[in-house]
Amino acid sequence: MPLICIDQTDLRYSIPLCFGGAACDLRTNSADLARVLEGLSISTTDSVPSGFRMRIVVDELSNEAAGEPHFRGMQHVVTATFGRSNVFVFDILRRTLSASVSAAIARDDLFWKEKLIPISLGVLGSAMGLVPVHCACLELDGEGLLIAGVSGAGKSTLSVALSEDGFNYVSDDWTYISRRRDGIVAHGTSAPVKLLPDAVNHFRTLERHGLRRSMNGELAYEVDIAEAFGARVERTCEPRWLIFLERTQAAGPDFIPMSSAEARKYINSSIERLPSQLHEAVAMRAQTIDHVATLPCWRFRYGGTPQFAAKELRKFVVHRRQEIYA
Amino acid sequence: MTEETHWHPDLLRRFVPTPYVFSNCNGPNGIVVESNDLEIALGVRRAGLVHSRDHLTRGLFCKLIRDMAGPVGGSEMTIVADGALRVLYLGVGTILIHDQERSELFGFVARNVKVEELVTSLIPALLDARGNDKSTQPLLQRSDKRHIG
Repeated sequence: MPLICIDQTDLRYSIPLCFGGAACDLRTNSADLARVLEGLSISTTDSVPSGFRMRIVVDELSNEAAGEPHFRGMQHVVTATFGRSNVFVFDILRRTLSASVSAAIARDDLFWKEKLIPISLGVLGSAMGLVPVHCACLELDGEGLLIAGVSGAGKSTLSVALSEDGFNYVSDDWTYISRRRDGIVAHGTSAPVKLLPDAVNHFRTLERHGLRRSMNGELAYEVDIAEAFGARVERTCEPRWLIFLERTQAAGPDFIPMSSAEARKYINSSIERLPSQLHEAVAMRAQTIDHVATLPCWRFRYGGTPQFAAKELRKFVVHRRQEIYA
Repeated sequence: MTEETHWHPDLLRRFVPTPYVFSNCNGPNGIVVESNDLEIALGVRRAGLVHSRDHLTRGLFCKLIRDMAGPVGGSEMTIVADGALRVLYLGVGTILIHDQERSELFGFVARNVKVEELVTSLIPALLDARGNDKSTQPLLQRSDKRHIG
């Protein structure tokens, strides 16, 4: 029976990293993995108060690629496996990820960039004051726009269209929100933008990319937005507005003010329920959500293409800013 | 008026109801067993009473879910230990977690794993797992890159 004692392994590579605004203390026995994660680390001045630890043993004798993902969680622990050789244990109370992975996974920068880092922030974030919110985030002249909506509402296609229209891209699906003394900060990760197959009708450049099966089983284009669309990427911004997307048959657009209560209800419906053992994380998360819900908030109903929606949204944002700064 | 909360689906299966609860309050040897499966709850209670005398100093809280939705397959057992946490994987569908500091044992049992195997083999293997056990030495040395001790 293989017994992998991470705490008794010589984790000789110790590197301070930063992902999504969270400091990460990496310890590993693999120079390859240390190099990959160092390349993905993004330091920021807006880091969250508490970070997390990654303790990863790499089995140089195993070359097993990432298998089918399987997730389970109970109490304060979440586990993820990607095949027999790649196991990850998230201890939320102790803010620690302990893992054993194959040498192939250690060298696979896409696996860490697209899967493990976003998953780690999603699972451990609440214990660090970093709340994963199901929304896209774009930035214009230092001011952030959070775009929420149910799956299929068009968050990702609108994110790409806004990026092509002069906005800086932060994230398209999950945005990590932290609090600071004078407000909130939105953090993106290095995760790729995910577009469903029909997005090719709006963005011809996708014809150069292949569809692949994403973690939830959907066929999608998963592309680096900077490489595929030449978008400018910002890692953090200060959100100023919260927009809820709603696609309609009518051409639109309509902007309808929404209450904080409605906004809070939506955000709460998109976050994961946490067990009672994590009551401190639950309280911290609730405070951050309260801050997000107090942003000026509108429901944006539109029909037509993402490019049309992007133009309308840009006009709306510019108009609101003129009102604020007038 | 209280806001009604609509939670995200429980994809991790954290909140599967566990109606079968047994407890034996016997000081430091006390044990509480919760499960969604009567056979598991009974089996662990019987075995747990014996085990708690040998290994535990402050009782044990057990919560085990019979995971009918999870994958089945693989027979290799692996234990990952780091600090207070030990996690046993049997194939891909059975995952048992022991938190020594918190005296908690919890996890998911794949639908093809018999209760007898759970209580006579898997749980003892998890509770007994130590890095310096003679029984585990050959496997610990399987990979030279995992420098132990």
